[in-house]
Amino acid sequence: MKRSFLIYLLIYLIALSSCQSKNEIESTFSAVANIEALWQTIDTKYCFVEEKDVDWDAIHEEYITKARLLESEMSDNKNYQELLFDLCASMLDSLKDGHVNLYSWFDVSAYSGWYDNAPTNFNSSLVFSKYVPSYRMSGGLYYGRLSYELTTDTIGYIYYSSFSNSCANIGGVLSKLSDCKAVIIDVRSNGGGDLTNAYTLAAPFFEHETVVGYWQHKNGPGHNDFSDLEELKVTPNQYVHWMRPVYVLTNRRCYSATNAFVNCMTNAEHATIIGDKTGGGGGMPLSYELPCGWMVRFSSVKMFNVNKESIEQGIQPDIRIDITNPSQRDDMIDKVILFTKRQAK
Amino acid sequence: MKKILYIILLLSPILLHAEVVEHENILKLKYGGVWQVDPYLSPLRYNGQWVGIGNEWWQSFSKHEHWSHVGTLDLSGLWSYNTPKSNRLWGLGIQTGWGAYHYWDWQDKGLQVLVGPHLEAELMARYLMSNTNKPYSMDAAVQAQAMAGVSWSFSGKKTSYRLRYLAYLSVIGIDFVPDYFQSYYELTEGVMQGNVRCAGLWNHQSLRHEITLDLQFPHSTWRVGAEHRLLHYGTQTMQFHRQQVNLIVGCVFRYKVKPAERFR
Repeated sequence: MKRSFLIYLLIYLIALSSCQSKNEIESTFSAVANIEALWQTIDTKYCFVEEKDVDWDAIHEEYITKARLLESEMSDNKNYQELLFDLCASMLDSLKDGHVNLYSWFDVSAYSGWYDNAPTNFNSSLVFSKYVPSYRMSGGLYYGRLSYELTTDTIGYIYYSSFSNSCANIGGVLSKLSDCKAVIIDVRSNGGGDLTNAYTLAAPFFEHETVVGYWQHKNGPGHNDFSDLEELKVTPNQYVHWMRPVYVLTNRRCYSATNAFVNCMTNAEHATIIGDKTGGGGGMPLSYELPCGWMVRFSSVKMFNVNKESIEQGIQPDIRIDITNPSQRDDMIDKVILFTKRQAK
Repeated sequence: MKKILYIILLLSPILLHAEVVEHENILKLKYGGVWQVDPYLSPLRYNGQWVGIGNEWWQSFSKHEHWSHVGTLDLSGLWSYNTPKSNRLWGLGIQTGWGAYHYWDWQDKGLQVLVGPHLEAELMARYLMSNTNKPYSMDAAVQAQAMAGVSWSFSGKKTSYRLRYLAYLSVIGIDFVPDYFQSYYELTEGVMQGNVRCAGLWNHQSLRHEITLDLQFPHSTWRVGAEHRLLHYGTQTMQFHRQQVNLIVGCVFRYKVKPAERFR
């Protein structure tokens, strides 16, 4: 009995000392190995393989062939790494996803097709020269009062250019604008940032904890392996509840965390979304490494609106407006002025 | 009956209350190499260096002959590079443990054999420098371990020595494993369903063993040694792996504490 126990223990210890992670990959600059690893990473970890209209198996065949060619004919080329980078980036572009990037020490790839052909619908110089000539700054929030034509000091204006900057003072900023009848939250051309800031910025516009959507993450290598849906909730701001009209201005360059913020605001009682459809980016991006050490970024967490519909392709505004003469007028702000005047009457 | 004995043995650190008569306190520094694969952060192996400071205290029990108990506390840091040297991984860890051991002495040969249960808690937080969207990961576990050791004391011309080998093998406990591609946003928001799980020999393999030599000079005792740690755990889709080899240098303090005198 003792002897067999010791034998089992010895076998266990030998097996233990020789075990290694089955996830480990060898480091290499081989084009074939890197294209294969990149394809596998997207195939097993990217959450939108099914949602994107792309034949991922056909992409594999196409790019493995190109990688073999690159490896056999160009491996001695001094630009081999750049060529390999371009090949990988080209493969990723087929996903048409702004959250998919490739990072190397010499370059970063990014897909911009989600806004390339859409109108800009924003001219910050015009806004700050004509509509809000006097403004203050609190963290990442630029705020003031609209002062244009017949309107004076009745509509508050808050511009937030990046969710990477702090918006923790939103409560204080709204307190400063407490004499205003309405407030504009301008998130046009805000490409996203920290997701927690999206919920911080939305918090003053909710009186009660509110379910604003759902999320789920990849929990296995299959295209449809996902965790259960978990609720996304906005917790009201502790100090300020803005229960007057709030207008959220959007354009096609609203992406990622901005998209999540707009999704929150579609559930706020007094909020109206004005502008263009947001750019989307309703997946939460994570990063992973390739055998050559480059980093690939992609979404692995899906986010949904309160109706459990994906927000990856963007969110439609309540009122769709394009700016017709960007150097002279901001039609979105004009629309807010019009609404406020009507309400005042 | 045997089962009851095993349970008593497992609970013995809690059950043993006695007046301490002998103390041994070891303050030690560790330095060595580490190699690890954290598939939550990267599929590449990260190799680097490990540095730690630790304290270990042994106490014998006056009322339970041939029993002693030990407490450990280690703080450590690691820095490592992936194999293509394109990224850095930092780590900070804390490890604490407590166990009670029965020992058998063969004083004429200077031999001592120790066996007993040990409870260990470990937290090792990691940060991947160039990963903007998923830079954090950690090993976190509380494990009941089986510990066994042997020591041999012998004397030289001017110095006494004690050579000791100790091994700790994790048997059962709980550990934290992030889901396949769960974001840290979800974790910080409290979405942790299934992340804390029962761990045992089948899914969490952990072995720590060390060999040390105590050099007992007339007025001080010094310890040198080496430690090997192997940690392997995970799920079907993600297997975490860490190995480290450390050199140990320490100072041993031995003293006796008399029981309090009672006057009635």
